[in-house]
Amino acid sequence: MASLELSHVYKVIGGRQTVLHDINLIAHHGELISVVGPSGCGKSTLLRSIAGLEEITSGDIFIGGRRVNDLQPQQRRIAMVFQNHALYPHMTVYQNLAFGLRARRVARSVVETRVRRTAVRLGLEALLGRYPRELSGGQRQRTALGRAMLRDPEVFLLDEPLSSLDVPLRSEMRRELMALHKSLGMTMVYVTHDQSEALSLGERVVVLSAGKVQQVDTPQEIYGNPLNRFVAAFVGWPPMNFLSSEILGTSAMDLQNVEYGVRPERLMLQQHAADDLSVSGRIECIESLGGVWQIEIIHNGARLIARVPPDAALRQDEELRLWFGRADLYAFHKTTGARVKVQR
Amino acid sequence: MAVRTFLYGSLSILAILTLFPLLWVTSIAFMRSPEQSAGTPPLWPRHPTLHNIVNIIQREMLGHYFLNSLIVAVATTVLSTFVAGLAGYALAQVRFRGRRIISWIVLFAVLIPSQALVLPLFEMFREVHLINHYAALILPAAANPVSIVLIQAYMRGIPAEILDAARMDGAGEWQTFFYVVVPMMAPMLAALAVLTFVVSWNDFMWPMIAMQKASMQTLPVALASIDREHYQEIGLMAAGATVTILPMMAIFVASQRYYLRSVVAGSLAD
Ligand SMILES: Nc1ncnc2c1ncn2[C@@H]1O[C@H](COP(=O)(O)OP(=O)(O)OP(=O)(O)O)[C@@H](O)[C@H]1O
Ligand SMILES: [Mg+2]
Repeated sequence: MASLELSHVYKVIGGRQTVLHDINLIAHHGELISVVGPSGCGKSTLLRSIAGLEEITSGDIFIGGRRVNDLQPQQRRIAMVFQNHALYPHMTVYQNLAFGLRARRVARSVVETRVRRTAVRLGLEALLGRYPRELSGGQRQRTALGRAMLRDPEVFLLDEPLSSLDVPLRSEMRRELMALHKSLGMTMVYVTHDQSEALSLGERVVVLSAGKVQQVDTPQEIYGNPLNRFVAAFVGWPPMNFLSSEILGTSAMDLQNVEYGVRPERLMLQQHAADDLSVSGRIECIESLGGVWQIEIIHNGARLIARVPPDAALRQDEELRLWFGRADLYAFHKTTGARVKVQR
Repeated sequence: MAVRTFLYGSLSILAILTLFPLLWVTSIAFMRSPEQSAGTPPLWPRHPTLHNIVNIIQREMLGHYFLNSLIVAVATTVLSTFVAGLAGYALAQVRFRGRRIISWIVLFAVLIPSQALVLPLFEMFREVHLINHYAALILPAAANPVSIVLIQAYMRGIPAEILDAARMDGAGEWQTFFYVVVPMMAPMLAALAVLTFVVSWNDFMWPMIAMQKASMQTLPVALASIDREHYQEIGLMAAGATVTILPMMAIFVASQRYYLRSVVAGSLAD
C-alpha cells in the first residue's frame, strides 16, 4: 500500500491542447478517491498518466514517496481497470487472470492457487473456462477487476468500470467495490462521470473540468460547500437553481455582480424562519416521483426546480411561493464563477 | 425472395463457369491417349487410368519441381506473414518516430507492378550471387506491401486498451506480440497466408528469370517447358495441371473455417 501524489502535472497534446492543467493531488495511503467530471475533461488521461501509459508534459508523480515519472507501467506497482474492460478476447477467464503472473514468470503452481483464490473471492470460479464473449457484463467486469487485483498493486486505478452495466447491477457492483476496498486496504482512484456515484463511493472527491481540478474535498463539503459555480452546478441532481439578484427581489443581500444559487431539495412550501427568503412563480409542471414531487416554476422566464413532499393543493399554472433558509443560498461571482461568501 | 433466387442463381452460374474447366482438365488427366486426342476430349473418361499421372511424375521428375515449389511457397508464406504481422502491428499500434512516413512509403509500394521490379531485382540478385538459389524467390516476397497495409488496417480496429492491459500486466514487447496480438489477428493472418501461398505457388515470370538452372525451377515454369515439348500429349499436360492445382484446393478447403470468424467479440463493453 502506498500514497499517491501528483504535483503540477501538465499534459499537452500536439503542442497546443492542454488536456491536464496543473494537477495537484494527494491520495493518502489506503484512501478511496473518486474523480468526477463531464465527458472529455481529462479523467482517462489523468489515470493513464498515473499508470505510465501516457507521458506527462511536466510535473511529478510520486507513488509511496518514490518519483515514478520515468518508470514503465509494469514497474509502478499499479493496476488499472479500463473503461471498456479490455479483456484478452482469445483467452479464457482463467488465462485472462493468469496472464500477468505468467508474464512475470511466476511458478505455475503459485499461479494456479492465486488465480483460484481471486476467482473465488469474485464469484468467478464456475466461469474460469469461459471466453469473454460468453460472459455477462457484470462477469466481464469482475474478470477485469480480478486481473487487476492479481497484479499486487499499491495503487488501484479504475476508469468508469461500471459505466457499461445496467443500474441495479451497477449499485451491486458499487457495494462490492467498497467492500473490496475495505478488505484490501488499497489506495484507489475511481473515475466516473456520474456525480452521485462519485459522492457515494469516494472518501474524498476530485471535481475535474476542462483539465483543471475544481475542488478536492469530502463528499459532504463538495455538496454543501462548493468552491465555484461549476462544482455547484455539476454536483447534485436535479442541478442547483441559479437566480439573478432581481428575481430574489428586495429580500436579497445587496452584493454586486453575483448570481445566486439554491438547491432544489432546499426549496420549501412553507416559511420556517422569520428571515427566510422566497421566490414565486407560475407552476409549469408537476411530476410525481413517488414519495416526492418535482415542481418546475417559471418566474420572469427563469426556470426553477423544487423537490417537495406531495401536496394535493398544488395546481399547474397557479402561482406558488417557495421558501428557503438564508444558509441555503449560495452566491457566485458572475464572471469568474468563484464562490462569494454571503453575510449570514 | 426474388432477390434470393437471383443471388443463388447467379452465384451458381459463376461457380459452374469457374469449376467446369478445372474439372474437365482433371478428368482429361485420367483418359487414355486415343480418347484425348480425338478432337475435343469427352467430359468423362470411359476407361480411367493413372497412366498420365504416373508418367509425368516419373518421366518428367515432376516430384522434384513440386518440392522446389513447396519449399519456396512455404518459406515465402511463413516469412511474409511474420513480417507483415510485425510491420502491420507496429505501424498501427506502436508509437515511434517516422511512423507516418513509413506508412506512406509502404502504401506507395503497393502501386508498383511486380513486372517493373523484375529487372532491378535480377541485377541485385546477380550482384550478390543468389540467382539460382531459393533465396532469389523467397526474399523479394518477404515484405509484401499489400499484406502489411491490410494488417495495419485490421490492427487499427483493435482497441489499444487491450495492448495497454498487456503492458500493465508486465508483458514485454515480444510476449505482447505473440500472446496477445497474433491471436487477435489470427483470422487475418490465416487469410493472408493462404493468399500468399497461392500467389507464390502460381508465380511464373520472376521464377522463370531467377531460376535459370533447370533443377531449380518451380512447378509452373517446369510445366510450361514440358508443355512445349509434349504439346500433342494433352493427357500429360492435363496431368501436370492437375498435380499443380490439387495442393491449393486442399489448402483452401482446410483453411476456410479459420478466416471466417471474428475474434474480438466479447472482450469489450458493448
Ligand atoms: N491522443 C489524443 N489526441 C488528441 N486529443 C486527445 C487524445 N487523447 C485525449 N484527447 C483529448 O483530451 C481530452 C480528455 O480526454 P479523456 O479521454 O481523458 O477524457 P475523459 O474525461 O476520460 O472523457 P470520457 O468521460 O468521455 O471518458 C479530450 O478533449 C480529448 O479529445
Ligand atoms: Mg474516459
